[in-house]
Amino acid sequence: MPALAISTEHLTRRFGGLVAVEDVNLRVVPGQFFGFLGPNGAGKSTTIKMLTGLLAPSAGRIEILGLTLAGNSASIKRQIGVVPEGMALFGRLTGAEYLNFVGRMYGLDRETAAKRAGELLEFMQLSDQPKALVTDYSHGMQKKLALAAAVIHGPKILFLDEPFEGVDAIASGTLKAMLQRMIAHGATIFLTSHVLEIVERLCSHVAIIHRGKLVAQGSLEELRAGVEAQTAAALPAGAAPDGPSPQAGEKLTLEQIFLRIVGGARPVEQELSWLG
Amino acid sequence: MAGLNISPGSRGQFAAMALVRWQLFVNSLRTISGRMELVSRVIIGLTFAFAGFGGAFGLGTAAWFFVSHNNAEWLAVLLWPVFVFWQFFPVLATAFTDNFDSSNLLRFPLGYPTFFLIRIAYGSLDPATALGSFWLAGIALGIGYADSRIFLWAVLVLMVFGILNILIGRMIFAWVERWLARRRTREILGIIFLLIIVSFQFVGPLASHFGHGSRAAIARAVSEWLPVERLLPPGLAAAAISRAAQDEFAFALGAFLLLLAYGNAILFLLNLRLRAQYHGENLSEAVAPSSSAGEKTAIQPGWRLPGLSAPVSAIFEKEFRYLSRSGPMLFTMIMPVVILVLFRLTPSSSGNEGFLVRAPDLAFPVGAAYSLLILTNLVYNNFGADASGIQFYFVSPVRFRQILLAKNLAHACVLALETVLVWLAVCLVFRPPAPGVVLASLAGLFFALVVNLSVGDLLSLSAPKKIDYGTFGRQRASNTTVFASFGVQIAIFGLGALVLLTARHYGKFWLATALFLALSAAALAAYALVLNRADQLALARRETLISELARA
Repeated sequence: MPALAISTEHLTRRFGGLVAVEDVNLRVVPGQFFGFLGPNGAGKSTTIKMLTGLLAPSAGRIEILGLTLAGNSASIKRQIGVVPEGMALFGRLTGAEYLNFVGRMYGLDRETAAKRAGELLEFMQLSDQPKALVTDYSHGMQKKLALAAAVIHGPKILFLDEPFEGVDAIASGTLKAMLQRMIAHGATIFLTSHVLEIVERLCSHVAIIHRGKLVAQGSLEELRAGVEAQTAAALPAGAAPDGPSPQAGEKLTLEQIFLRIVGGARPVEQELSWLG
Repeated sequence: MAGLNISPGSRGQFAAMALVRWQLFVNSLRTISGRMELVSRVIIGLTFAFAGFGGAFGLGTAAWFFVSHNNAEWLAVLLWPVFVFWQFFPVLATAFTDNFDSSNLLRFPLGYPTFFLIRIAYGSLDPATALGSFWLAGIALGIGYADSRIFLWAVLVLMVFGILNILIGRMIFAWVERWLARRRTREILGIIFLLIIVSFQFVGPLASHFGHGSRAAIARAVSEWLPVERLLPPGLAAAAISRAAQDEFAFALGAFLLLLAYGNAILFLLNLRLRAQYHGENLSEAVAPSSSAGEKTAIQPGWRLPGLSAPVSAIFEKEFRYLSRSGPMLFTMIMPVVILVLFRLTPSSSGNEGFLVRAPDLAFPVGAAYSLLILTNLVYNNFGADASGIQFYFVSPVRFRQILLAKNLAHACVLALETVLVWLAVCLVFRPPAPGVVLASLAGLFFALVVNLSVGDLLSLSAPKKIDYGTFGRQRASNTTVFASFGVQIAIFGLGALVLLTARHYGKFWLATALFLALSAAALAAYALVLNRADQLALARRETLISELARA
């Protein structure tokens, strides 16, 4: 059986008395486009930081491509790409200089790094301002540059923390095209996002974290079936479930699945009467 | 300025602005750094209060002296410095820091009059306004004490003069802000201001060095300038008071009306800028995609540095690119040379030739040591300018040992370059230093560099502080770093003095070189130890490093 792309066992992170991530057991198979979802403050960013070496776990074990992260940090890092929350950019370089720099940090020779930097800038539509510093880029341009930097060495796994946050439709389309191309070439992608429509369209598998605990994990179909079965078992005959429901004959959307699992539906009667 | 009426709703908005500033202040006290900031503000406030009261007393005494000796026209001599300080100090301070973003106000339903008044009020309690007001109050009291007949008139004139100063300040700020909103122009202006400050340092030495003659020429220049001076706000305010003291009330009124006319003109110019801002003028720095394909250039491969691995070369190149794009950092590069020139021109307090002129052999070691001292800003906070880029170092496969080594090599190269500049300056300004002195200085410098790099690497990992290479001032290192750096410099200078005294005792200068080289060997061993522990320390401190450096 081939090694899992990502696996965690009892992954836990505490900040003083607060348990941000508790006993999380993740299984991500190579080639999956994996969406990691959860409400604000659920522990998504904490988990992805631990998976990428930006944060030490308080307990538990992380394996990437069959290697434990704790003992094989350098060899794992050579095979993964990361776009962290802060994008990890160097503001006083130009886009080309930054990509050149990142490529060489991953061990590419000068010529290869420069060639790939040029191709990535073209693909991301960032080649029009060769002299502009990264600090002067718009937010969307910075996101595209961060993704370009994360893939310049051809990683086997790509970790993305909120890649579509604050990105317009055009930039978002470029990012999605890049990610789908990577999946077609056999890479694994692990992303966190609040934009459930995008996750539903892109991801084959999903995990949901809520209050630090993993509450669901599987393919979209598996999650849908699980939620429908649970709802049917819990409701008396003829009663309607809480939260938004699909029209007759339609499948549950990821948003509906998500809300059923985390229980975030707001009662209709809870109104702000003063709102126009 | 028609339609500047304050509606009842505006009062609520003013109150909300005041409340939010108070809440920001109270919330800032939740952290230790916030409380430390308050302490430093209190100390600075006391200093300003001292300057305010002292200045008011001095200016008041001078005003009393001029008026009581029937020389009221000399009040212009007092009003001009107040005017210049009032206008230049805030611009100077603003150039070094981030400026107020008026777009923050535009999302609220503010009418233009409210927006206008908030922009005038914002920062009107700054040090320049507080000090300027104190000083004018001192001058008014001095005038009143000398001639009570014109006291109320002087208060009115000086009050208008003070308001005019505030308006001019706001107007300059509003126009300068247009340029300061952009990073590049902000940096260029910052450099220009610093060059002006440095050039002031040369005024005294140059005057004493070259000028023993032309007092008549100075007097002629002053007399040519006087008619112009009388038509400018400080001259007009002084004329309005002095003419009243001489019972020439029509002239006094005329000068006062001209002062008011200045006020109207300033309000017009200010209104022009603020209206543009109110209507959503965009001063964004974001680059727009260019439609011209002609701008595209081929991507040049990174630097190839013989004997260094690809990551070390890449970081070395990145450090040099950062430094070369930092106006403030480039500016500090020339400071050792500037200091040497100053030492050459400045006579000692006894009127004899300066210290380095009498002992020119010390010029090279002094200049080289000063270069190293300046470099400690970088060495003790290696990751400060990387900001969120620190995350990249943690997710990349490169060891922190290599990262620090590359940064240290870059800083050592900067020091080598600076040392060459200092040597050239010493040769040109003083005389070529003796080979023995150069060798001993280089050996001592190498020892000091290695010690500073070792301690700097440790502190960079344990007490990082985010800095912006493009911004001047208000970028303090962590207190730990400041104290540790201070201790290290004392220890190095102590050891250096001991070595030099030993060499002098035996009358053999080469002994100093040998001792410094022996000390360097020990320092290199310590440096290797630090580099070997760098990864361990970086992992242990990664949360602090990321949270301090990657924060917005």
